[in-house]
Formats: sequence, structure tokens, C-alpha cells
Amino acid sequence: MEKHEVQEKVKKVVANVLKLDPDEVVDDANFIFDLGADSMQSLELVAAFEEEFDIEMDEDKALAIQTVSDAVTFIASYL
Amino acid sequence: MAYRNLQHTEIEKLKKQGCTAETWESVRVTDPFDPERIQHVRFFGNISLGIFNEHVTVKERGTQQTGIYHSTLRECTVGDNALIQNVQNLYRYDIQHHAVLDNIRSMSVTGLTSFGNGVEIEVLNEGGGRELPIYNHLSAQIAYMLVHFRYHDSLTKKLLSLIETYCESVKSDRGTVGSHVKITDAGIIRNVEIGPGTEISGADLLEEGTLAGSPEDPVRIGQSVIAKHFIVQSGSHISDGVLLDKCFVGQGVRLGKQFSAEGSAFFANSEGYHGEAVSLFAGPYTVTHHKSTLLIAGMFSFYNAGSGTNQSNHMYKLGPIHQGILERGAKTGSLSYMLWPCTVGAFSVVTGKHTTNFEAADFPFSYITAEDGKSQLTPAMNLFTVGTRRDSEKWPARDRRKDSRKYDRIHFDLFNPRTIGNVLKGMEILEELSEKSRREQEYVSYKGLVIKRLLLRSGLKYYRIAVAIYIGEILLKLAESLAPGQTLKEKLAILPGREPEPWFDLAGMLVSKSRLESCINAIVQSSTNSVDDVLNAVNEAADAYNDDSLLWWAGQIRKQFNVEPKDLSDEQTRDIIENWKSNVLKLNNMILKDAEKEFDPGSHMGYGLDGDEDIRNKDFTAVRGTYDDNKFVKGLVKENSEIEQRADNVLKRLKLQ
Repeated sequence: MEKHEVQEKVKKVVANVLKLDPDEVVDDANFIFDLGADSMQSLELVAAFEEEFDIEMDEDKALAIQTVSDAVTFIASYL
Repeated sequence: MAYRNLQHTEIEKLKKQGCTAETWESVRVTDPFDPERIQHVRFFGNISLGIFNEHVTVKERGTQQTGIYHSTLRECTVGDNALIQNVQNLYRYDIQHHAVLDNIRSMSVTGLTSFGNGVEIEVLNEGGGRELPIYNHLSAQIAYMLVHFRYHDSLTKKLLSLIETYCESVKSDRGTVGSHVKITDAGIIRNVEIGPGTEISGADLLEEGTLAGSPEDPVRIGQSVIAKHFIVQSGSHISDGVLLDKCFVGQGVRLGKQFSAEGSAFFANSEGYHGEAVSLFAGPYTVTHHKSTLLIAGMFSFYNAGSGTNQSNHMYKLGPIHQGILERGAKTGSLSYMLWPCTVGAFSVVTGKHTTNFEAADFPFSYITAEDGKSQLTPAMNLFTVGTRRDSEKWPARDRRKDSRKYDRIHFDLFNPRTIGNVLKGMEILEELSEKSRREQEYVSYKGLVIKRLLLRSGLKYYRIAVAIYIGEILLKLAESLAPGQTLKEKLAILPGREPEPWFDLAGMLVSKSRLESCINAIVQSSTNSVDDVLNAVNEAADAYNDDSLLWWAGQIRKQFNVEPKDLSDEQTRDIIENWKSNVLKLNNMILKDAEKEFDPGSHMGYGLDGDEDIRNKDFTAVRGTYDDNKFVKGLVKENSEIEQRADNVLKRLKLQ
């Protein structure tokens, strides 16, 4: 999968889980400080990424991701 | 003690010192008797006095001669070197040696009393049906059996009969004030038995109770306490306007700051300040510190109540008949509300207002939040929060019981057959719910709860971490304890892989089903003749915890690997150890990540008032320190650095590397 496809899918998932306007989900947005994700939503994001990309991520590394672009890079490493 | 009648000259001297007696013949003394030590005292009825030839030092009163001054005694005995002064009425008490009674309005035994023993309190179900008779030797485990096993007729009858016998044995129309007791500035003390070393200072009213202190761990009762119908065990402190009615207070408990409780039992190391408790079964380490917190008709242990925590136990229908069970380690957030009946799994967190009844006992380590009027479960979420790890480390260190006789048996392991057993049950449920759910579903429902579909599989993943750590940790411990020349196979040969049986958490004590049944059988049989025999039977079951939990582990090995533990292959053994290593590291890293949030910019809010970003950071660091220097973080980082080494050492020892 091309990186821009990963990026689009990640943004779609983030907007969906955090109930945000997709335009708010910019590359350098921090999940907690900018997008307002709480701990439970962080878990949900990891689960949603796994389902969307049909991958199984390393739990501690996945939960350590802070920004949208970090998520794209991390997910891409599984594809 | 050899008493004698007063001599004529002694009576004359006492009269000159302002003393009177209903009949001087009824006042008997012990040699050497010094009349100087009895001044301005009125004696009524039979009085026996010990020797007064020492001094005693009392806080805020300095050192004084022992003896009796400015007091009225009716039907009392006074032991050697006690000090009694300014006691307006002392009736039917035996005061033991070196006790101090100073400035008391009235202390009396008004008739035959059992001093609070046998008082029935309606714990858990405020409407009755689970009445708990309190008595001096009650433990959390016996209370659990009495409250929860009401359906077990022979057990209930036997326990109630033994307790009744005990209560009869302590009945008396005279009270005792134990040796070295200090009672100062108290109001009314009526029908209260006072154990050795007890300190009472400024209590307003104590009525129908026992302060069962021991010399090594005395009871302390402080300012403005009002307590009726109670038992207080050793090492407990109750102070500052506490109101108690029909309450049991176990060992090492702290109640203060105007806390009020009715029909409640507090077991070892519980704490209650400011708030209110009604029909509460407070298992060991139940802690409530805040105003507006009502704990009602619930059973808790290793619990921490957020401010404003509240529950309802009736819906204005058939009365206050509902109950709630929070398994060990659960917490409730500020202003959380639950509508009983509900159950909450071990080490779970409840936040928000819940107006549905839910059953979450099979989901330990979860978050239960209120979302749009629904109770939402996030399974396993609390497994990797920093609070859970901190709590599990702090409890053993905070056992403040100093009495060599400890009534409540407490097992502290975070991962144990009960909790991991529930984790495994939770995993089965999550698996089933996951299989049945459709991708377009946002939520699935389960026993009054909703769970986000996406979190079903992630919950499973996180629970697997706990199971892998539990399984591996025990294998590592077994390998580390091999005797010289002994093989792991030999060590495992004594552990048959039987079907793992259910475990119970008896208010702090973990016990297998069969062990509990043996314990109950031992209690029911005729050779158990006293409440202390019951304690012995419970202690025997508690002592079997390590052996029984190993058997449970062996059963899980059999179940997971389909071989007897002794037949684990080298590859399987290596996998268990490697899995343990990677999962402990994973869990610790997740906990560290959670701890890091306590230091991130979001946590800096409110610091460095009126300053710039630099001041804000400096203020935060000055007050909170840094992540790297945090004691808990350092401990976990150190543990991480040792995990690999520990696994390698065991692999080498087992010649698997």
C-alpha cells in the first residue's frame, strides 16, 4: 500500500473514532493534546487501525505513538 | 490479692481527707496501704483497693502519685498503682494495675451485658437477611461466611451457635479496665469492656461495646467520639467526632474526621474519614477519605472511594434490599454513582453515574464508564495503568497491624488463581461476543454493560499479557528454587495437572473451592467447639494458599499445553519463559507510558502561575520532580533491566540456552 493511502486511511479512522471533522486530523496533530483522545480512545484507535489494516501491532509500541504522522509510519512498517 | 479491712486510724485519716463510705467495712485494702493516696473519695458498696506507691506520667498532666482523688466509686476494685481522679461516677468496674482514669463524667456497668458481643448488624443487605453478629474474635473471613453463605444451613447454624456460646461467656454485670489503660476527659462510658493499653481521650459517649486492645497494639479513642453497640479490635484508632452505631472495627483500622457509620463492619487496615457508611462490608484495606461519600450496602476490599462516591440500594419498591459487590482492588472515581445491584471485577475503575444494573465481575482490570446513559466496559484497560501497579505494591507495606494475633488473613498477589481465573472467564466471554458481533456494530451488550466492538479483541490481547506473566512467573520461581542437582521435571512431578477449580476471594483471603469446602466441613463437624477453633480452621485453609495456587497453575499448564507439567517439553518451557519476558517488558513499558502522562505538558496546567512557559516547567519540576527521577518509574526501569537477565539465568539453569 502506498504511503498516501495509509495516510488517508489513518486519518479516516482517527476522525471516525474520535468523532472529528476529517479536516482537523492533520499530519502533526497530537492524539491527546490536539485531538483530545483519552486513554480509552487510544485503545480504540489501536484496535481500529488493526482492523482497518488487518494487522496486529505491538501493544506497548502502538500505545506510545503520539501523532498522526507517527501512526502512519508505524502502521506502514507492518504492511 | 490479700485484702484487709481498714483500721480505725486509717478510717479517721481518710475522713479528714474528705472521704466518705456507705459502710467502711465494705472498703478493703492491700498492704502496704497509704491513706495519703486516697483523698476526697466517696465509696459505695464493696470496694477493693490495691497498693498505691508509685508515680505515673500522663500526657498533658505530668507526673502524679497513683491513688484515688476527687472521685466516686461504687462496687469497684482498683488494681495496684492505678490513678483515678475526678471521676464523677465509677460503677461496677474492675480497674487493673497502672490504669489511669482522669476527668470522666461517668463510667458504669448498668446490668448484665455482653459488651457489644452478639449485636447483629445488617451488612450488605440493609433490609436484613444477612445479619452479622459481631464479637471480639470476628475475622473478615468468618464474616464473609456468615454474610454470604446463608444458604448453607449447617454452616450458618454452627457459626451462630458458637458465636452465641462465646457471647454468653463474656456476659457480665461488671466491666474491666485493662492494665495501663489511660482514659482522660471522657463523657459517658456505659457497659464498655476496655482492653489493656487502650487510650481514650475526650470521647463523648461509648455505650455497649468492647475496645479489645492488646498491650502490643492498643486501641485509641479520641475527641468527641460517639459509639454505641460496637466491637473494636487491636491497633485501631477512632477519633475526631466519629459516630458509630452497630459497627465492627477490625484490626489496624483508622476512623476519624467526623466519619459516621451504621450497621457496618470495617476489617483490617480500612480507613474512613469525613464520609458515611451504612450496611457496609468493608473488607481489608477499604479506604474512604472524602466528604459526601456514601458507601451503602456494598462489599469492598482493597478499595479506594473517590469524593462523592455514592450508591443506591433501593428504588422505593420493596425497600433497601439491593447490594453491590466490588471485587478486590476496585476504585470509584469522584462523583461516581451506582444503582445496586451491580458487580465490579477486581482491580477495575468505575467513573460516572450508572443508572443501569450491570454485572462485570468476570472482567477484572477494566474501566466502567458512563457514556450517554449507558455503562460502558473497557476490558483490561486498568491492567496497564500506573495506579494498579502502585496499589498492589503499597498494600503489603501498609499492613499496620502490630498484634501478634491477626484475625484477618490477607493474600496480596496481584495475579492469583482467583483474578487470573476471572481473566480467563472474561476472555471466553470476549471471544464469544467477538465471534457473534458484526463489523458494522459499534457496541455489543453484555449483562447491563455495553462494550465497544473494537475493544473485544484488544481486551483479549491485553488479558493474554496477564495470563502469560502469571504462567511464566510461577515457572520461573519454581526453576529458581530448584535444589542442587534437582531438575525442573522432578520439581513439577509433584504437581498433577488437574482440572483447575474455581477460587474464592473471602474478603482478602484467596482459597480454592475444595479447600473452602474442607474448611467448612471442619467447622461444621463436632470437634469444632469454639470461635477460636473456627479461626484455626480458616487459618489452615489460608496457609494452604501457596500449595493450592501451584496446583491451580499446574492445572492451567495442563489445559493450555495438553500435557502434565512434568512433561512440558524443552521448547514449551523455553516458550513460557520467553513469553513471560516479552510480556512483562511489554506490560511494564505500557505502565511506564501511563506514568509518563503524569509528567507531560498536559499535567503542567496550573503550575507557574503568572509566569511564562519556562517558569511553568520549573515550578512543575520543583513540585513534582521529573519522570526520570520518580521513585516508581526508577523502580520499574530497574525491574525492566533485570527481566532479561532473570529469564536468561533460568534458561541457563535449565540448560535451555
